[in-house]
Amino acid sequence: MNINATFFAELLAFCIFVFITYRYIWPSMENLLEDRRKEISDGLEAASQSQRKLEEASKESETILNGAKTEASSLIAQANTRADQIVDEAKEQASEEAKKIKISAEADIEQSANKAKEGLRDEVASLVVAGAQKILDKEINAKANKDIIDSLIKKI
Amino acid sequence: MAKENTQNLLETSDYIGHHLVNLKFGWCDKSSSWGFANHQQELFKGLDSTCKVSEMGFWSFHLDTIFMSVLLGAVVFGFFGLATRAAKKGVPGKMQNFVEFVHEFIADAVSSGYHGTAKIVGPLAFASCLWIISWNLMDLLPVEMASFFGHFGGGFNYFKILPTADLNAPLALAIVVMVLVTYYSVKTHGAGGFLKELFVVPLGPLEFISYLSKHVALALRLYGNLFAGEMIFILIAIMFGQFAMSFSQTLWFLPGLILNLSWALFHILIVALQAYIFMMLTIAYLNLASTKH
Repeated sequence: MNINATFFAELLAFCIFVFITYRYIWPSMENLLEDRRKEISDGLEAASQSQRKLEEASKESETILNGAKTEASSLIAQANTRADQIVDEAKEQASEEAKKIKISAEADIEQSANKAKEGLRDEVASLVVAGAQKILDKEINAKANKDIIDSLIKKI
Repeated sequence: MAKENTQNLLETSDYIGHHLVNLKFGWCDKSSSWGFANHQQELFKGLDSTCKVSEMGFWSFHLDTIFMSVLLGAVVFGFFGLATRAAKKGVPGKMQNFVEFVHEFIADAVSSGYHGTAKIVGPLAFASCLWIISWNLMDLLPVEMASFFGHFGGGFNYFKILPTADLNAPLALAIVVMVLVTYYSVKTHGAGGFLKELFVVPLGPLEFISYLSKHVALALRLYGNLFAGEMIFILIAIMFGQFAMSFSQTLWFLPGLILNLSWALFHILIVALQAYIFMMLTIAYLNLASTKH
């Protein structure tokens, strides 16, 4: 007889193996694949998100760059005008200073010329007096003739 | 001449018989004791009974079938258990890839063939398919190998390594499927509906016969295919083994090798196909049982 109690042993073994598969192997394989699926979809999601972020960032950097450029150009323009202004001011100041220096120099010159004239006049007066004293040889009161001499001096 | 032929014939049938007999341990009525069938082993001298293999009744065990099937099951399910336990997140290794491939294959078959809600179908298909494949692969081992190691290494004169070629093993699988099919049929249609389907509509008791026969056929299909495959290996071995015995014709070894190889290559198909068919039919039967129609 070919069918015998081996059948029960096989039945038991099969039930045990099915139970082991049902309880341990199958769920852990499902979990494994589920985890993998989730991981991959998460990864893809993260990748697309970072792509989006990258685009945003590049856009933002472009606007920042543009802003910086306009700012820089405005700054340069401002600096240029300011420099012009400074140069103009400096020129003005310099010319004023030059004018002032010129005026004071002219005044100095005039003063020293006057002084020289005065000295000269005094010199001439004393010379004239001495000359007149020598020429007249007579007692000519210097004081009495001073007016005449002064008028003489003025004519020089 | 005639005598020689009979002698040869006897040897041949002996040879075939030797390869088709299981290592049997069971209840012997003659001596009223448990023991091995006669002349089957030398290892446990005291455990021999006086019964021959054919004289043992229902209460006997094919130790080789049980040993091989449990060993193969332990190897296969142990491998898958360890592989899934060792599996890490991130980039999978080769072993994990293999495990996931097998799981994907079976899960696809289940999801395309089964539309019910029972959680047992996936594990059942997985367990039956892989276990049957591991059994069937034993058929590809040389027919003499088991006897050789059994006889000279293990002390067993009879040892069949192919569990599928013992009807008990496929039948046990088919009966489990039948029990589950019945359970889900009753669960879906109710006990009354199930019985009505079997006995009343539309062809009456024929439906009941088909219900029984499809489950028996599930076992017999598997058993028959593998038994026949094993038989052909044995016949090839006889045909050329005898020639090779006489030294003048040692070259007969070569066609024997070629025949064996070609049949083995063809047999790989049957090995996988029968396991696949068993799995797909299991899924289909359970699908019929657990969906309303």
